[in-house]
Amino acid sequence: MTLFLQQWYGELLKLFSRRRTYIGFGAFVALELIILLLIKKFGMGPIQKAIVGSGQSFEYYFSALTVASTIMGFSIFLLGALFLSLVAGDIVAKEGEDGHMRLLLARPVSRFRLLLLKYLTCSGYAFLLVQFFAWTSFLLGLTLRGWGGGYFAIVPEISVVAFYDWGPGLQRYALSSLYLGLSMTLISSIAFFLSCFRIKPATATIGALTYILVDFIMRTSGFMENYQYLLLTKHMACWGRILAENIDWPLIWRGYAVIFAVNMTLFTLGYAVFESRDLKS
Amino acid sequence: MALLEVRHLTKRWPTGRLALDDVGFEVREGEILGLLGHNGAGKSTIMGITLGMVRPDVGEVRIGGRSVQQNRGAALQQIGAIYEAAVFYDYLSGWQNLRVLCSLSGWWDEAEVKRVVQMVNLNRAIQQKTSTYSHGMRQRLALAQALLPQPKILLLDEPTDGLDPEGIREFRELILHLRKHHGMTIMLNSHLLGEVEQMCDRCVILKDGKKVFEGPVPSQEKSRRIYQLGTNDIGLAREVLDRCGATMDKHGIVEVPLNMEPHELVAALVNGRVQVSAWQPHRRTLEELYMGLSSRS
Repeated sequence: MTLFLQQWYGELLKLFSRRRTYIGFGAFVALELIILLLIKKFGMGPIQKAIVGSGQSFEYYFSALTVASTIMGFSIFLLGALFLSLVAGDIVAKEGEDGHMRLLLARPVSRFRLLLLKYLTCSGYAFLLVQFFAWTSFLLGLTLRGWGGGYFAIVPEISVVAFYDWGPGLQRYALSSLYLGLSMTLISSIAFFLSCFRIKPATATIGALTYILVDFIMRTSGFMENYQYLLLTKHMACWGRILAENIDWPLIWRGYAVIFAVNMTLFTLGYAVFESRDLKS
Repeated sequence: MALLEVRHLTKRWPTGRLALDDVGFEVREGEILGLLGHNGAGKSTIMGITLGMVRPDVGEVRIGGRSVQQNRGAALQQIGAIYEAAVFYDYLSGWQNLRVLCSLSGWWDEAEVKRVVQMVNLNRAIQQKTSTYSHGMRQRLALAQALLPQPKILLLDEPTDGLDPEGIREFRELILHLRKHHGMTIMLNSHLLGEVEQMCDRCVILKDGKKVFEGPVPSQEKSRRIYQLGTNDIGLAREVLDRCGATMDKHGIVEVPLNMEPHELVAALVNGRVQVSAWQPHRRTLEELYMGLSSRS
């Protein structure tokens, strides 16, 4: 176990020593600031209407949590998908292309272990990036609205609307960010799987993004109404159910069971592809 | 004793090109074996198979009796390698690169790493990012990573490629030092004949994926008795030499048969009325051997 952790430390050291890794963090902060400025200038618009329309006090529910949630809702899916695909698409393909893989595999380490380390690294990165985004959004929300108030949670795609006081709201927000982090590992897995082929890293990134966007478009277009269970973004969206007043745990567990199964399948297939490759320039 | 055995390796690439055709040889403990051949002869493919990065269609490589194809992890415990161009993580320091690579071997001993870094003369630059390294420094770092943790066999794939003359000389001295003072067994893959001639005890020559020669490097040969004959009577000399069982090529290079002493052969030539103007030992070069094999094939 200690050996595995030492090796994982090596992977993390590589990941976090690269500038590219931080582009995602930087881009999120920049976007958060832009959205915050827009909220400050133009107000909450549709969110305000929804709160007032529900007969609640906008002043009470216009809080750091609501602002943070709004910022997240606007951008996490698309921007998150982009940076997760970028990092996971690089993680095997770029090392293969650059020749690092030949240096690594001249060591007595199995391809399985090497891929497992890389998979855990890019999944960990996905989780960390979402947490970073969730909590920097919250901090920015605090600068705008300060501590306290209510929490208006809305996830339109799964018809969740709920009102919380500060304490329970903060708990729900924290819990939902954890589940959102888990959901986003699916994007990493797709990019990781493609990265195991003998292809350019950019191809793996674009391939993963394309898959997710096509899946998302299919889900929102309505043509797949009866086959939504086949769409990955449908299962990814189940993190939002954490925000419902009565949490439907069986539905959430079902969604995450699918996500877990797809992640494992993609890892196994990626490993099978990589194992069968001859590594020679 | 053979530390590394290459057994009947055959490999055909998906394109249909035959990379290796039933190649076999062994590397004995403490020797430096040179693997020679033109570009595309199959040298790097053998290295790749030895490291388990390329799968052979037929055959196997055994290191210390363990099959790389069946138990790669255990077999590779005894090996350090520079396979193709060593590409380091430019955004990490030399030290961090060594740390990442050593962790994959499940080993880290700071004192030993420092000793090896000093041996390859990188101690002043080891904390710098490798993006600042010259080609020579990168090759020395590549050697350092191959020497950690203390392998029995070193596989070097064209290690002096791209180095300047001073770098080549430095690298060569380092390799010879490793053999002399650490008893290292080395397999050196190169297409530089001079390099192999100066460093290796034996060599294997490949041509188009086939082994065409395995034996001592000519300059290291002790058993063969080869002389340069100077005479105007080439035809007569050839007749006499044929009768004695000796052979002579068109350049007058004579190989003395085992049942005769060189002076007896000279006496036979003189008695056969051949005017001998010169008779001196001739040391065959690797280049002569290599070119001879190439033209014969």
